[in-house]
Amino acid sequence: MAAAAAAGSGTPREEEGPAGEAAAPQPQAPTSAPGARLSRLPLARVKALVKADPDVTLAGQEAIFILARAAELFVETIAKDAYCCAQQGKRKTLQRRDLDNAIEAVDEFAFLEGTLD
Amino acid sequence: MAERPEDLNLPNAVITRIIKEALPDGVNISKEARSAISRAASVFVLYATSCANNFAMKGKRKTLNASDVLSAMEEMEFQRFIAPLKEALEAYRREQKGKKEASEQKKKDKDRKTDSEEQDKSREEDNDEEEERLEEEEQNEEEEVDN
Repeated sequence: MAAAAAAGSGTPREEEGPAGEAAAPQPQAPTSAPGARLSRLPLARVKALVKADPDVTLAGQEAIFILARAAELFVETIAKDAYCCAQQGKRKTLQRRDLDNAIEAVDEFAFLEGTLD
Repeated sequence: MAERPEDLNLPNAVITRIIKEALPDGVNISKEARSAISRAASVFVLYATSCANNFAMKGKRKTLNASDVLSAMEEMEFQRFIAPLKEALEAYRREQKGKKEASEQKKKDKDRKTDSEEQDKSREEDNDEEEERLEEEEQNEEEEVDN
Protein backbone atom coordinates (compact mmCIF):
# COMPACT_ATOMS: atom_id res chain seq x y z
CA MET A 1 0.00 0.00 0.00
CA ALA A 2 2.70 2.42 1.01
CA ALA A 3 4.72 1.58 -2.10
CA ALA A 4 1.75 2.40 -4.37
CA ALA A 5 1.25 5.74 -2.67
CA ALA A 6 4.93 6.56 -2.99
CA ALA A 7 4.95 5.55 -6.66
CA GLY A 8 2.06 7.92 -7.28
CA SER A 9 4.09 10.97 -6.31
CA GLY A 10 6.37 12.33 -8.98
CA THR A 11 9.37 12.87 -6.72
CA PRO A 12 11.99 10.13 -6.34
CA ARG A 13 11.44 8.18 -3.17
CA GLU A 14 14.35 8.47 -0.74
CA GLU A 15 15.55 5.34 0.94
CA GLU A 16 15.20 5.69 4.67
CA GLY A 17 17.86 3.15 5.47
CA PRO A 18 20.25 3.49 8.36
CA ALA A 19 22.41 6.46 7.54
CA GLY A 20 25.37 5.54 9.69
CA GLU A 21 25.02 7.36 12.98
CA ALA A 22 21.60 8.78 12.22
CA ALA A 23 20.63 8.34 15.86
CA ALA A 24 23.46 10.51 17.11
CA PRO A 25 22.57 14.20 17.22
CA GLN A 26 24.41 16.24 14.63
CA PRO A 27 26.46 18.75 16.58
CA GLN A 28 27.06 21.06 13.65
CA ALA A 29 25.08 21.48 10.46
CA PRO A 30 27.24 20.87 7.39
CA THR A 31 28.34 24.12 5.77
CA SER A 32 27.92 24.71 2.10
CA ALA A 33 31.68 25.30 1.71
CA PRO A 34 33.42 22.61 -0.34
CA GLY A 35 36.13 22.08 2.29
CA ALA A 36 35.71 20.07 5.46
CA ARG A 37 33.24 21.57 7.87
CA LEU A 38 34.88 23.90 10.27
CA SER A 39 34.51 22.07 13.54
CA ARG A 40 32.90 18.84 14.59
CA LEU A 41 32.91 19.31 18.31
CA PRO A 42 29.85 21.16 19.59
CA LEU A 43 30.88 24.66 20.64
CA ALA A 44 28.40 24.62 23.52
CA ARG A 45 30.22 21.75 25.22
CA VAL A 46 33.60 23.37 24.71
CA LYS A 47 32.18 26.57 26.17
CA ALA A 48 30.99 24.61 29.22
CA LEU A 49 34.54 23.37 29.79
CA VAL A 50 35.95 26.88 29.46
CA LYS A 51 33.44 28.24 31.93
CA ALA A 52 34.40 25.54 34.42
CA ASP A 53 37.61 27.47 35.03
CA PRO A 54 36.92 29.83 37.94
CA ASP A 55 39.55 32.31 36.73
CA VAL A 56 37.93 32.79 33.35
CA THR A 57 35.52 35.70 33.11
CA LEU A 58 34.49 35.68 29.46
CA ALA A 59 35.54 33.93 26.30
CA GLY A 60 34.95 35.23 22.80
CA GLN A 61 33.25 33.13 20.16
CA GLU A 62 36.44 32.88 18.13
CA ALA A 63 38.37 31.63 21.15
CA ILE A 64 35.80 28.88 21.74
CA PHE A 65 35.94 27.89 18.11
CA ILE A 66 39.75 27.66 18.09
CA LEU A 67 39.73 25.63 21.28
CA ALA A 68 37.27 23.20 19.70
CA ARG A 69 39.43 22.87 16.60
CA ALA A 70 42.57 22.49 18.72
CA ALA A 71 40.89 19.73 20.72
CA GLU A 72 40.12 17.90 17.46
CA LEU A 73 43.74 18.21 16.34
CA PHE A 74 44.80 16.96 19.74
CA VAL A 75 42.56 13.87 19.47
CA GLU A 76 43.95 13.10 16.01
CA THR A 77 47.52 13.54 17.24
CA ILE A 78 47.22 11.42 20.34
CA ALA A 79 45.33 8.69 18.48
CA LYS A 80 48.08 8.48 15.86
CA ASP A 81 50.84 8.45 18.46
CA ALA A 82 49.07 5.73 20.42
CA TYR A 83 48.64 3.74 17.23
CA CYS A 84 52.40 3.68 16.67
CA CYS A 85 52.68 1.73 19.94
CA ALA A 86 49.91 -0.69 18.98
CA GLN A 87 51.54 -1.25 15.61
CA GLN A 88 54.75 -2.31 17.31
CA GLY A 89 52.72 -4.98 19.13
CA LYS A 90 51.21 -5.96 15.74
CA ARG A 91 47.71 -5.35 17.07
CA LYS A 92 44.87 -3.83 15.18
CA THR A 93 43.02 -2.52 18.17
CA LEU A 94 44.17 0.45 20.15
CA GLN A 95 44.23 -0.34 23.85
CA ARG A 96 44.39 1.85 26.91
CA ARG A 97 48.01 0.88 27.51
CA ASP A 98 48.97 2.26 24.08
CA LEU A 99 47.64 5.57 25.20
CA ASP A 100 49.57 5.43 28.47
CA ASN A 101 52.76 4.64 26.57
CA ALA A 102 52.22 7.55 24.23
CA ILE A 103 51.68 9.91 27.15
CA GLU A 104 54.91 8.78 28.74
CA ALA A 105 56.88 8.92 25.51
CA VAL A 106 55.75 12.27 24.13
CA ASP A 107 56.81 15.42 26.02
CA GLU A 108 53.82 17.47 24.95
CA PHE A 109 51.50 14.96 26.62
CA ALA A 110 53.14 15.34 30.01
CA PHE A 111 50.26 17.48 31.24
CA LEU A 112 48.04 14.41 30.99
CA GLU A 113 49.98 12.36 33.50
CA GLY A 114 47.81 11.44 36.42
CA THR A 115 44.68 12.97 34.95
CA LEU A 116 43.17 9.99 33.20
CA ASP A 117 42.54 7.74 36.18
CA MET B 1 25.74 16.88 37.47
CA ALA B 2 29.47 17.19 36.76
CA GLU B 3 31.52 16.79 39.90
CA ARG B 4 34.80 17.75 38.36
CA PRO B 5 35.56 19.76 35.25
CA GLU B 6 37.20 16.70 33.65
CA ASP B 7 33.84 14.97 33.81
CA LEU B 8 32.43 17.39 31.27
CA ASN B 9 32.96 15.11 28.34
CA LEU B 10 32.81 15.82 24.67
CA PRO B 11 30.31 13.67 22.74
CA ASN B 12 31.53 10.10 22.31
CA ALA B 13 30.26 9.75 18.76
CA VAL B 14 32.27 12.74 17.58
CA ILE B 15 35.43 11.66 19.40
CA THR B 16 35.14 8.18 17.90
CA ARG B 17 34.69 9.61 14.43
CA ILE B 18 37.74 11.84 14.75
CA ILE B 19 39.86 8.91 15.98
CA LYS B 20 38.70 6.59 13.22
CA GLU B 21 39.43 9.14 10.55
CA ALA B 22 42.91 9.75 11.94
CA LEU B 23 43.77 6.06 11.89
CA PRO B 24 44.16 3.74 8.91
CA ASP B 25 41.22 1.60 7.80
CA GLY B 26 40.62 -1.55 9.73
CA VAL B 27 42.10 -0.25 12.96
CA ASN B 28 39.82 -0.41 15.97
CA ILE B 29 39.84 1.20 19.33
CA SER B 30 38.86 -0.31 22.63
CA LYS B 31 36.18 1.34 24.71
CA GLU B 32 38.66 2.10 27.48
CA ALA B 33 41.11 3.74 25.09
CA ARG B 34 38.34 5.77 23.49
CA SER B 35 37.03 7.00 26.77
CA ALA B 36 40.56 7.84 27.92
CA ILE B 37 41.15 9.90 24.79
CA SER B 38 37.86 11.70 25.34
CA ARG B 39 38.90 12.52 28.88
CA ALA B 40 42.33 13.63 27.63
CA ALA B 41 40.63 15.99 25.19
CA SER B 42 38.66 17.58 28.04
CA VAL B 43 41.84 17.98 30.09
CA PHE B 44 43.49 19.50 27.05
CA VAL B 45 40.75 22.11 26.71
CA LEU B 46 40.94 22.94 30.42
CA TYR B 47 44.72 23.27 30.33
CA ALA B 48 44.62 25.37 27.14
CA THR B 49 41.96 27.58 28.66
CA SER B 50 44.05 28.18 31.73
CA CYS B 51 47.12 29.04 29.63
CA ALA B 52 45.11 31.30 27.36
CA ASN B 53 43.61 33.03 30.34
CA ASN B 54 47.09 33.90 31.59
CA PHE B 55 47.78 35.67 28.31
CA ALA B 56 44.48 37.54 28.52
CA MET B 57 45.25 38.68 32.06
CA LYS B 58 48.72 39.79 30.96
CA GLY B 59 47.02 41.92 28.34
CA LYS B 60 44.68 43.25 31.04
CA ARG B 61 41.68 41.84 29.22
CA LYS B 62 38.75 40.00 30.72
CA THR B 63 37.71 38.22 27.56
CA LEU B 64 39.67 35.33 26.08
CA ASN B 65 40.31 35.89 22.42
CA ALA B 66 41.69 33.83 19.55
CA SER B 67 45.24 35.08 19.86
CA ASP B 68 45.29 34.12 23.55
CA VAL B 69 44.48 30.56 22.55
CA LEU B 70 47.16 30.57 19.85
CA SER B 71 49.70 31.84 22.36
CA ALA B 72 48.62 29.06 24.71
CA MET B 73 49.32 26.47 22.01
CA GLU B 74 52.84 27.82 21.68
CA GLU B 75 53.31 27.69 25.44
CA MET B 76 52.05 24.12 25.61
CA GLU B 77 54.52 23.13 22.90
CA PHE B 78 51.82 22.38 20.35
CA GLN B 79 53.36 24.70 17.76
CA ARG B 80 52.38 22.28 15.01
CA PHE B 81 48.76 23.17 15.67
CA ILE B 82 49.26 26.88 15.14
CA ALA B 83 49.27 26.95 11.31
CA PRO B 84 46.14 24.78 10.85
CA LEU B 85 44.41 26.73 13.61
CA LYS B 86 45.15 30.03 11.88
CA GLU B 87 43.68 28.67 8.65
CA ALA B 88 40.60 27.46 10.47
CA LEU B 89 40.22 30.86 12.09
CA GLU B 90 40.35 32.61 8.70
CA ALA B 91 37.70 30.27 7.34
CA TYR B 92 35.56 30.76 10.44
CA ARG B 93 35.79 34.54 10.15
CA ARG B 94 34.77 34.38 6.49
CA GLU B 95 31.83 32.16 7.37
CA GLN B 96 30.68 34.46 10.14
CA LYS B 97 30.93 37.44 7.80
CA GLY B 98 28.95 35.55 5.16
CA LYS B 99 26.25 34.67 7.66
CA LYS B 100 25.97 38.27 8.80
CA GLU B 101 25.69 39.52 5.24
CA ALA B 102 23.11 36.86 4.44
CA SER B 103 20.88 37.89 7.31
CA GLU B 104 21.24 41.56 6.37
CA GLN B 105 20.35 40.72 2.77
CA LYS B 106 17.31 38.78 3.96
CA LYS B 107 16.14 41.82 5.89
CA LYS B 108 16.64 44.03 2.84
CA ASP B 109 14.66 41.61 0.67
CA LYS B 110 11.85 41.55 3.20
CA ASP B 111 11.61 45.34 3.15
CA ARG B 112 11.67 45.39 -0.66
CA LYS B 113 8.89 42.78 -0.80
CA THR B 114 6.46 44.83 1.29
CA ASP B 115 7.12 47.85 -1.01
CA SER B 116 6.35 45.88 -4.20
CA GLU B 117 3.12 44.49 -2.70
CA GLU B 118 1.82 48.03 -2.31
CA GLN B 119 2.66 48.77 -5.97
CA ASP B 120 0.66 45.74 -7.15
CA LYS B 121 -2.43 46.91 -5.31
CA SER B 122 -2.46 50.32 -7.04
CA ARG B 123 -2.00 48.62 -10.45
CA GLU B 124 -5.17 46.54 -9.97
CA GLU B 125 -7.27 49.65 -9.35
CA ASP B 126 -6.17 51.11 -12.72
CA ASN B 127 -7.36 47.96 -14.57
CA ASP B 128 -10.85 48.23 -13.08
CA GLU B 129 -11.25 51.76 -14.38
CA GLU B 130 -10.36 50.69 -17.95
CA GLU B 131 -13.06 48.02 -18.02
CA GLU B 132 -15.80 50.48 -17.12
CA ARG B 133 -14.80 52.76 -19.99
CA LEU B 134 -15.03 49.94 -22.57
CA GLU B 135 -18.60 49.11 -21.58
CA GLU B 136 -19.72 52.69 -22.16
CA GLU B 137 -18.28 52.67 -25.71
CA GLU B 138 -20.23 49.52 -26.66
CA GLN B 139 -23.51 51.09 -25.66
CA ASN B 140 -22.81 54.10 -27.89
CA GLU B 141 -22.24 51.89 -30.96
CA GLU B 142 -25.63 50.19 -30.59
CA GLU B 143 -27.46 53.49 -30.62
CA GLU B 144 -25.83 54.55 -33.90
CA VAL B 145 -26.81 51.37 -35.73
CA ASP B 146 -30.45 51.95 -35.00
CA ASN B 147 -30.40 55.20 -36.81
